[in-house]
Amino acid sequence: MKRHIWIGALLVATLAGAGACRHPAENAKTDPLLAAYETEADWSDAQRVIPLSYQQAQGKRIFYQQCVWCHADATPAGPSNRSNLTPVPPLLNDGAALNAESDQNLQNIITLGGSAVGKSAMMPPYGRMLSAEEIRSVIAFARVIAQPPYQSPRRVGSQ
Amino acid sequence: MPAEEMGKVTDRTRLIFAVSSVVFLAVLAISPFKDFRREWKQYKRSYLRFAQSRPDTKKLLADYRPDIDQIWLPGMNVVDRCSTCHQGITQASLAGPEVPQPFRAHPPIPHHVRDWGCTVCHRGQGPATEVAEAHESTLAWEQPILSTRFIQASCGTCHYANLPQTPQLTRGRELLAELNCEGCHRLPGIDHPAMLGPDLTNVGTKVSREWIYKWLKEPRTIVDKDGNVTVNGYETEEEPRMPKFRLTEAELRGLSAYLSVQRAKAVVPYKMDPRLVAAWSKNPELISQGELRFRQMFCSTCHSLAVTRAGETKLIGGDIGPELTKVGSKVNSDWLIAWLRDPPTYLSRTRMPRYGWSDEDLYKVTQYITTKLTDSDLLTGVPQLGQPTEEEIQLGRRLFLEKGCASCHSIEGLNPQKDFGPDLSALGGKNASELEFGAAKIPHYLVTYIQAKLQDPTSVNPAARMPQYNWNQADLDAVTTALLSMKGPPATSALQNLVVPRKEVSFHPTGSFGEVYERYKCSTCHKFNGYGGDLAPDLSYEGSRAQRQWLVDFLKNPQTLRPTLILRMPQFNMSDKDAATLADYITMVLQHPAANPGSVDAKQFTPAMAVLGKQLYEVKYQCQSCHTIGGTGGYVGPNLNNAGGWLTPAWIEAWLRNPQALVPDTIEPRRNFTEDEVKALTAYLTTLRQSIKPQKTASNTGSHVLAQVAER
Repeated sequence: MKRHIWIGALLVATLAGAGACRHPAENAKTDPLLAAYETEADWSDAQRVIPLSYQQAQGKRIFYQQCVWCHADATPAGPSNRSNLTPVPPLLNDGAALNAESDQNLQNIITLGGSAVGKSAMMPPYGRMLSAEEIRSVIAFARVIAQPPYQSPRRVGSQ
Repeated sequence: MPAEEMGKVTDRTRLIFAVSSVVFLAVLAISPFKDFRREWKQYKRSYLRFAQSRPDTKKLLADYRPDIDQIWLPGMNVVDRCSTCHQGITQASLAGPEVPQPFRAHPPIPHHVRDWGCTVCHRGQGPATEVAEAHESTLAWEQPILSTRFIQASCGTCHYANLPQTPQLTRGRELLAELNCEGCHRLPGIDHPAMLGPDLTNVGTKVSREWIYKWLKEPRTIVDKDGNVTVNGYETEEEPRMPKFRLTEAELRGLSAYLSVQRAKAVVPYKMDPRLVAAWSKNPELISQGELRFRQMFCSTCHSLAVTRAGETKLIGGDIGPELTKVGSKVNSDWLIAWLRDPPTYLSRTRMPRYGWSDEDLYKVTQYITTKLTDSDLLTGVPQLGQPTEEEIQLGRRLFLEKGCASCHSIEGLNPQKDFGPDLSALGGKNASELEFGAAKIPHYLVTYIQAKLQDPTSVNPAARMPQYNWNQADLDAVTTALLSMKGPPATSALQNLVVPRKEVSFHPTGSFGEVYERYKCSTCHKFNGYGGDLAPDLSYEGSRAQRQWLVDFLKNPQTLRPTLILRMPQFNMSDKDAATLADYITMVLQHPAANPGSVDAKQFTPAMAVLGKQLYEVKYQCQSCHTIGGTGGYVGPNLNNAGGWLTPAWIEAWLRNPQALVPDTIEPRRNFTEDEVKALTAYLTTLRQSIKPQKTASNTGSHVLAQVAER
């Protein structure tokens, strides 16, 4: 009979033990830069590094290929074409100028060019060269580097 | 137990039975409670509450089931239950940062989660239903979630071809190739670099034993305590190709002895006319003229020099060839002259072109190099080594093979060991338990192992033969990413079918063009059919683009067309015959099917069309925002002052219709010109002509170039 007791006790202990045994989930690293696909230094404060998502990173890549020449003050080749143009094109991070424009407006300007939306014809259309998705990613990049920061309208209501 | 007691129920037994029944009952009661409290069920309920708090509840709960969700892709070995907790992963309205994890939507990427699952890219344990088991390394599962910092490695497991979307992975692969990691390790898909460590068969004719000793001890690279890398005392961002080997004094003596006796072929000193040399050497401006020629020949396109501006010393120039600030104290002058005259006789695989030097230029430039690019302190701290002894030479020869020198440098008659370092072709899929961490006090993960080994090979294995590299953090992460992407051949046939292979490219023209192409090493800077360097324009279709006469003029006297770019095309002092050979081949062979120069007759363009074209250029399309004509306009595209003398009308037309069809990565946007507008713009552009002014040795050109070089 003693054997039965022991078997019973063992069973109880096992079940209790299994219940108590739960690995504490280790805290995942929360540094946003480690979780970023890419980064971009804030244009007005090089010390501040902005983490970028995949989409924003693609926007950054396209920006530095296509747009940087006129929408930044320094380019991969050195001098910028920006000061050469009238009207002077906004810097991509110029929140004061761009935050007021909706995503759809920006998408139209980039796709159709400046002259199609009543702005300078010096801004060429990119709709036949970049895909809508690529243009969206450039806008996403502009939004994340904007100074003053861009506040997205509540997406929920628009659904 | 006596037979009569069998079956007899005592009070004691009843008590035990009662107690254990209660215990079992209690345990049974706990079980459904525990089941109710399971981690994933809590997330399910919490999502339900969360969804109800959102305005689009119906849409968010359309697929909701209270059970485990899983993505099952049998062909790819994917059983991913991640969406059990990450329930909003495909809900576009849950993309914002205000949405709490684990419910946030996945950022938009080219591969949809329903078709690919999660673990194909993110790793982790797909079938797990507990947070810790799914994400972390456990005893039974050693492939934890891959940090987003290295996520591009996952793209590389199928995309063997480089993608524009994964710059970090591409950089890592480039570094693996550039640093010749393939010399010691098996790394599928990684090329040997265009230039390995130089062949050392004749190194004894070039440098002294003392210099070799110094170089091996401290290969010009010094990393200070803040991690700043200096080369020869100058800061640089480039990873120097020669790593540091941990050598003892005896080993340094042995290797320097062995290398200094490598003199298979003596240098034949080049004889110039002594009377002319005597006259040149009296020239008070000899050295400054030599420096001017050095700059005019665009040596800085490939070689850098230390330049001090505003108290700050920086290396300025290209990194295709070695940095030359102190080269005059390194090489002997007979060797230098022989090298400049004909580099391939010393190094058959060199990327240095053969210039058509005049004796005067050669003399001046070598005088400049041997008097100005020097450092009398270069060999400070090197002991007097004397004549190498036979023992030292034998030791050096053994070390040359044992230390892995032979993996990058060849010496005629010496056969390197095959598979010198471990095979890394499946490193990215290894479990931590398969790795040797030694005494290193680091968490036992694959990523930490790779980074520790790269940063200091001895940290995980004190006897490591791998030399010391000096990575900056970005390069370290890039190489880690590239190594993590090497998971060996795909595990299933479905994955095998997804592999995007790399294109193998090469371009080895023969005949008289091939000979000139080889001599001037065109592919060091230019690409042809996908093969070659990317310092200068891709010439695969140059024959469709440029007119023959323009090519001849340009080759004889290169000028830059792009105001923002620094002219880097060297002045080769090309003969008429060489220029004609190159121009003929380019015009005949390097053609794009969409722009056949014969297809457009320039005679059809009328002055009225050109006038219309000018209006379109200036008013409607405002091309001057990027292009310059006559001194006004933008800096982005090439200047068009000589468009009519430079470009073929067929190229202009095809280009206006669709620039990307001709040069896929050009930044000129594709416009929506009508056919008449294309004709009018072409008519206008073909009227633009400007003769190329010779830039011969006018001294102001030299200082202009100097200023440009310093600008960089």
